[in-house]
Parts: sequence; structure tokens; C-alpha cells
Amino acid sequence: MPTIETRRVVITGMGAISPQGVGARALWQGLRDGRCAIGPLRHKDGEVLRVKIAAQVPESFDPATGIDERTLPLLDRTSEFALHAAREAIAHSGIDFTRDGLGLRTAVIVGTGVGGETTQDEQSRRLYAEKASRTHPLTIVRLMTNASASQISIAYGLRGATYAVASACASANHAIIQAAQMIRFGMTDAAITGGTEACLSYGALRAWEAMRVLSDDTCRPFSANRRGLVLGEGAAVFVLESLEHARARGATILAELAGTGMSADASDIVMPSADGAASAMSQALAEAGLNPEDVDYINAHGTGTQANDSTETRAIRLAFGTHADKLAVSSTKSMHGHALGASGALELVAAIGALRENVVPPTANLDKPDPACDLDYVPNTAREMKVRAVLSNSFAFGGLNAVLALKRAP
Amino acid sequence: MTGTTQQQVFEIIAKQAKVDVANVTPESTLKDLGVASLEAIELIFDIEEHFDIHFPEQQGANFDSDTAQSLVDAVQKALDEKAAEGQGGQ
Repeated sequence: MPTIETRRVVITGMGAISPQGVGARALWQGLRDGRCAIGPLRHKDGEVLRVKIAAQVPESFDPATGIDERTLPLLDRTSEFALHAAREAIAHSGIDFTRDGLGLRTAVIVGTGVGGETTQDEQSRRLYAEKASRTHPLTIVRLMTNASASQISIAYGLRGATYAVASACASANHAIIQAAQMIRFGMTDAAITGGTEACLSYGALRAWEAMRVLSDDTCRPFSANRRGLVLGEGAAVFVLESLEHARARGATILAELAGTGMSADASDIVMPSADGAASAMSQALAEAGLNPEDVDYINAHGTGTQANDSTETRAIRLAFGTHADKLAVSSTKSMHGHALGASGALELVAAIGALRENVVPPTANLDKPDPACDLDYVPNTAREMKVRAVLSNSFAFGGLNAVLALKRAP
Repeated sequence: MTGTTQQQVFEIIAKQAKVDVANVTPESTLKDLGVASLEAIELIFDIEEHFDIHFPEQQGANFDSDTAQSLVDAVQKALDEKAAEGQGGQ
């Protein structure tokens, strides 16, 4: 294969809407403080649902704030989250898309597991329960998987490659990897990317209940008494640029997205494989030019299911060898829940925070060590420590693995 | 499907495991019968639908080691609770 000249990719802006509140700052602060945002489920069908807990975006979030009133009716909750997070990320980066025609080339690649589930659910209820003969005329534009990416593109006049990436719980990381690779290989100087999910519809909750992977108390990743995952929701969006582009405009660089790894288990549709996950981690290290001993922290996939947490532990040991015992590994899902296609994006906020502040966010609710989970999971309290490089893991149903490797801002 | 609760549960298990119902004994575990985790979840669903009951929340992976008899017992318990609830309401 001929050698291709590649460029370094950096992150210059971030925004988030999460169960920890409005803003990337609120998310990072909540995680650093070890605050668990899991609580009683607020839902109009809460009485009949068996699931009683979730990590939900607070009611104080007002989707209408700062969004054009002609745009609002076009938005599923998924797109509301994404647009708000994008606005914050773009403002944070200080990037000007009108300069030198930058907006004409900027890509928008947003991950989502399913897309407009709230819309789908409401309209199905009309059709099947209320026997209506019509759905709302904006049903399609609200529910389509690419709606979030398209709305960001429209709001900021971004005309580069724009689409959605869907790979269940790895959607955000796959989307971020796609955006990073476009910059790395010179296809664009800048990209807006991340993940969004609003998955707490009646139908989706029933489907998760039926799968019997939901916890009934809280999310306890890597703890022997873990009882499953807790659903979350939200979005996080980032501005990615080539290092030269960011430097040329004097941007503040939050972190370098130094390496990426992707793999498929090609085995079971739900049971994870340590080999597949380890392969993605090793690829991310290699692409970033990192040796295992250069990494101090892994933001784990850490869902709190029996299968994930022990398998991920084995995978980290496979990829890191003896250095695995020196790593700080934590699952912030213990605090923001599992936002499925948005989770990798929410967790990237945590990874960036750890790098910038030399603080590793904890794994909350870890109160009973499990012999099958024998790494240092930073239980319950954040830890101040030197953080030179970080991996952020996302693994999905379907056996899909996507891992980000981050370094401090160069 | 008729017969005792045990016969009915065994028939549902046999159908999911794609084995003859004669091969299902009270001691067989789902794993013995080749029922993997996701199929076990499907089996639980089939049993719940058939008897119109709800098993308590439990993670799927745990069902692998359950025996056929333990499923029969769980069904019987859920049916008894349902009957008790029904009487309480009258």
C-alpha cells in the first residue's frame, strides 16, 4: 500500500445536553463530582411500565431556547438535543464558517442508534391505538435518522459531506471516527460530529424491558451486584479540525484525536467478544503512536451488564498486557446512564475533561468487587492523577467496536 | 396446547430448542438443550405469553443455567400469584 500523507486531528469545541444538565461544562462537572443522574423515570406511561428508573435530561431543558420557531416543529427530541449541543460546540470553538468558504467544505456526521423514536412512537399510537387515518405531515422529516445531521447543516450553512452513522451503542464513536478520518485524509479541514439519542419512548422502553437487560436499582458497572444497564438520553457534539487549521486561526485546542480503532466480533448478535474489543483498542493505540504504557485512563463502555463488564475487563487485559494493572478505568455510564447512540459522545466529554484537568471521573455505585472485574475502576470518587493519554471505548449490539485514542493538546 | 403446566412448559422449551419433547427432562438445563442466551430470552417471552404471566426482572444470562423444572416452578408460582390477585379483586 502506498504511504498516504495524513494530518493530525484536534478537537476545538464541545457541547452537550445530558442527564447532568445543559452544557458540556455541566456534564463534566457532574461526572467529576461523582454525581449519579439516574432517578425515578418521568414518563406519561410510567404507571404501567415495569422499568422505573432512567437517566433523563432535566425538565429544565427548554428545547425552544434559541431555536428558530419555524425550525422547532421540524424537530424530534433527538434533533433538539443535537442542535443545542452543536450550537454550544460551535460557539465554544469560535470557528467562523463564513471565512474563506469554510462552511462549503465542513462535514456534519452525527451518530444515532435509531433516530426519531419519540416521533415514531407518537405517530404509531395515533395510527394503531387511536385509529387515526393520518399521521402528522412532518413525521418523516422528524424521524429520519439523518435529521439531526441535516438540521445542523442547515442551521450553520455547512455544505460538506453530511449524514448519519448508525451502529447502535457505538454510533457516536463511529461517527466521530468517520469525521476524523475525513480530516486526516485531507477531505475537509473541519467537521461537526458527535452523537444524539432520545430513546425513552413507550415502545422503546417496552422493547428494552423484554430484553431483560435493564437494571431495577441503579447502574453499577464492574460491581459484583450489577443488575444491568440504565437507559439515558442526550447528545454531545464536537468541532474537529486539522491541527494546521486550528493553529492558523489561533483556536484553543481541547485535545488531539490521535487514533481510532474499529472492529466487528463476527460472532454473536448480543454477546460481546473480548478479542473484537481488544482489536479495536490495539488499532487505536497503533494509529495514535501510543504504547500501552503511555495511556493512563480508559473511559470504559461499562454498561453494567454481567456480560459486558467482565468481557471488557478481559479485552483491556488482552490489549494492554501487564500495563492493564496500572490503568485507571471508569464507566461514566454509572452517572449519565446509557444514551445508546449518543453514549460515546457524552463519554468523549469525560475523556477530554480527564486530559485537560488531570482528574479521572469515577465509576459510581461500585460497592462490591467482582473477581471477574479485576482492574482499577476508580470507585465512587474522582481521582487527581496525571493523564497523558486516554482511550474511550464503545461497543455495540451487533458485535461492533469503536475506540477513540486521545492525547493532550499539542 | 393442553396438559399439565409441566407438559406445556416442556413443549415450549422443546420447540425453542428444536428437540423432541421426550428429550426435555426436569433436570435439563437450557444450556444442555443448546438454548443460548438470546434464545433463552425468547423462550421466557414465549412462556410468559402462553400463560399470560410476568416473570420477575432478571438478567437474561442467568437463565442459561436454569433447569426445565425451575421454569415450571416459576410458572406455577406466577400462576398462583395471579390466581390470588384475581380473588383479591372479587
